[in-house]
Amino acid sequence: MTEPILELRHISKRFDMTQALDDVSLAIYPGEIHALVGENGAGKSTLIKIATGVHQPDTGEILVQGRPVVIHNSQEAQALGIAAIYQEPMIFPDLNVAENIFISHRSRGPIVRWNKMYQDAREILAKLGVVMDVRQSAQGLTVAQQQTVEIARAISLDVRVLIMDEPTSALSLHEVQQLFKLVRSLRDRGIAVLFIGHRLEEVFDIADRITVLRDGKLISSRPRSEATVEQVIRDMVGREVEEFFAKSSVRLGELVMSVRGLTKHNVFTDVNFDLHRGEVLGFAGLVGSHRTDVALALFGIEPADAGEIVIDGKSVHIRSPQQAMELGIAYVTEDRRKFGLVMPMPICANITLPTLPKYVNGLGLIQRQKEMEVAEEFRRRLNIMTPSVMNTVERLSGGNQQKVLLCKWLNVQPKVLILDEPTRGIDVGAKVEVHHMINDLAAQGIGIILISSDLPEVLAMSDRILVMHEGRQMGIYTREEATQEKIMAAAMGHPEAILERQA
Amino acid sequence: MQSSRLASLRRMQFLRSWEAILFFVFLAILLYNATRVPAYLTVGNQINVFYLYAEKIIVALIMTFIIINGEIDLSVASVMGLCAGVLGRLLEMGVRGEYAIAAALVTGLLCGLWNGLWIAYARLSSLIVTLAGMIMFRGLVWVMVEDRSITNFPAWINHLGQDAILGPFPLSLIIFFVLLIFAYIVLHHSAFGRYVYVIGNNREVARFSGVKVQQIKLILFATSGLISALAGVLYAARLGAMRSSTAEGFELEIITMVLLGGVNIFGGSGSLIGVLLSILTVLNLRNGMSLANITLQQQTGVIGALLIFSVLVPNLAGRVRAELNRRRFARLAAEQTAPAERKEVKAESK
Repeated sequence: MTEPILELRHISKRFDMTQALDDVSLAIYPGEIHALVGENGAGKSTLIKIATGVHQPDTGEILVQGRPVVIHNSQEAQALGIAAIYQEPMIFPDLNVAENIFISHRSRGPIVRWNKMYQDAREILAKLGVVMDVRQSAQGLTVAQQQTVEIARAISLDVRVLIMDEPTSALSLHEVQQLFKLVRSLRDRGIAVLFIGHRLEEVFDIADRITVLRDGKLISSRPRSEATVEQVIRDMVGREVEEFFAKSSVRLGELVMSVRGLTKHNVFTDVNFDLHRGEVLGFAGLVGSHRTDVALALFGIEPADAGEIVIDGKSVHIRSPQQAMELGIAYVTEDRRKFGLVMPMPICANITLPTLPKYVNGLGLIQRQKEMEVAEEFRRRLNIMTPSVMNTVERLSGGNQQKVLLCKWLNVQPKVLILDEPTRGIDVGAKVEVHHMINDLAAQGIGIILISSDLPEVLAMSDRILVMHEGRQMGIYTREEATQEKIMAAAMGHPEAILERQA
Repeated sequence: MQSSRLASLRRMQFLRSWEAILFFVFLAILLYNATRVPAYLTVGNQINVFYLYAEKIIVALIMTFIIINGEIDLSVASVMGLCAGVLGRLLEMGVRGEYAIAAALVTGLLCGLWNGLWIAYARLSSLIVTLAGMIMFRGLVWVMVEDRSITNFPAWINHLGQDAILGPFPLSLIIFFVLLIFAYIVLHHSAFGRYVYVIGNNREVARFSGVKVQQIKLILFATSGLISALAGVLYAARLGAMRSSTAEGFELEIITMVLLGGVNIFGGSGSLIGVLLSILTVLNLRNGMSLANITLQQQTGVIGALLIFSVLVPNLAGRVRAELNRRRFARLAAEQTAPAERKEVKAESK
């Protein structure tokens, strides 16, 4: 057996509270396409960043051709022959193709020899079997062409390990096939390819070896010939279920929201669901499933292009967040810092922001006392750890910030509450409290849409689960029929895989 | 007990704030001037200190809102000039003074709406839109007035601009103080003021909370136009004349006073108290220097130095605090991770 070109031994990496990687060992051989799969947050990206020198491992070592190395940054990784291509190609739109290919070259002399550069660029593209005008500006290139330019850039640097992070997510079927042809030709020339993907079909199409990560641990690594779709899915989802407060059965009330054929061009298509009072409807899916975009359409931030939304029996066109709020919809964002809370402002001011007009007296002045009372009430109810509601939000822990965000939207007294990743990045204690609260709210008759990438959470908390894959709705599963395997198979665009096995 | 602890906490915060530093700088300047110049602390001299800057400090009030909102308005001085020009030309043509003043105010409002529409609804950068406005409105004055000087104002307009009308106070100062109180209430106690801060901190959070971001920006710029027009009219009335170059360069002095007051140039923080203290400091500093026969040019240099100082001090203090925090955290983290046992979890890989 040949020597691995890149070997990671016992790599661990911790970010604050999360163990991103836990004792992961991985060997990549020349002339092999090695696929890496896993749920969101399984540690794939961290692994790539460690291999390319963006992050340093806490423990463990990296070997290149059997020699231990320390990689401080991506330039050093490049010098060792390791390069990465990401979902969004790193292309300079104002430069032409040849300039983009040679952008990282430092040793071509102080003066640009244009003719030599164009000639070299043409040679590299010819080697890859690609037809492209090297003088063309990168501006007009498609994503697929931009990726080709990136691959050419890597080749020009004499790369031996090419890491591709979900390169197919923005490509059409035909472009994917072109890309795979290219990747196979690289493999045949002895380059090692580490391919991160979440379309199982593609992974099984291209990979020679499939490795599954889950919660920062390496679960399995098998040659493709020995792997099956069901096995891989089971490895991906077999998570330990944490202390869950499972959804208590609530008798479903009347219909509160009904969505038919909701579509936003190039984002999501034909989303259909009903939501009842007291129901928790889970939204499952992986990165790029556009679950959040559906929520943004319902909340009027990015209105949908087509389809019907019926609330309390009335057909509505939601065009702005103000309108959505008037209709009784609240959206708790997944990104607290960017969209959720004003970090340098007091807790109470954040809680009252959407409903501020209610706290204004006849003279147009804000009644601070009333604001404080409401915030104080919420602080007690949700057990927010702070000496005073006048403290700024930025001084709270992530879990407490999340609670403030929830208070802000509960104070609106919504009929439909959309929770987008409400427990991401908060500690277990706060998580359990949030789960309790979701239950309470459902019991009060609020219809809840729970978007979560945490499969056990979705399964435990939801009455029904809607699964999306790349903007398409793959199905709605009731609590009884849903299993981790089924949901994951649907989220990977393969709803049949598990069903067939059971049939 | 908790409330008293909170109060003392707030007192501590105030003492470390830029407003506190400004307050002591202002007191020092006042005392120094008072010891050197006998009549310095008389009401007459203090009113004089304000009177010569009345128009600029009126505009500084609305500029405070705009900068806290995360924008800037460079066109204020040109709007002042343009509105003074409209007033002057109409008076020249024999239009009655009241109508001429009304027309000047409407002109300012339109200028502000023009800026605001581009900034709020086309989401263009206010720096560029108002820079264009500054050039364009000034250009209009030149077209209207050319290189003449218009001086034939009715006596009542000159009277309002130049004489004390309430006790020792001239109209411009009364307007300033009324607007100051109004602005303080709006900025610090109304929903509108809260929205101004929220948008300045994070426009997206405001949008996701159902705040009408565009409407608020439009109102701010329209008001800025209107206030600038008022200031332009007062300025022309005080001088009893206007020319094409009237109020040229005022925008920088106005913005300087606002920033010196501790308002964050990137928006989101600052207070009218700070701006008032900054106004007091700058005016007394300038007045003191004038009395000490320091030339206007040299004065400008001192103000510039003070501005750098105002950005530097909170910045350095913040960095020192961040560095200390970082070290403390690093120490804590080291203490915590050292004894924690490393979990040895075997991967199920073959």
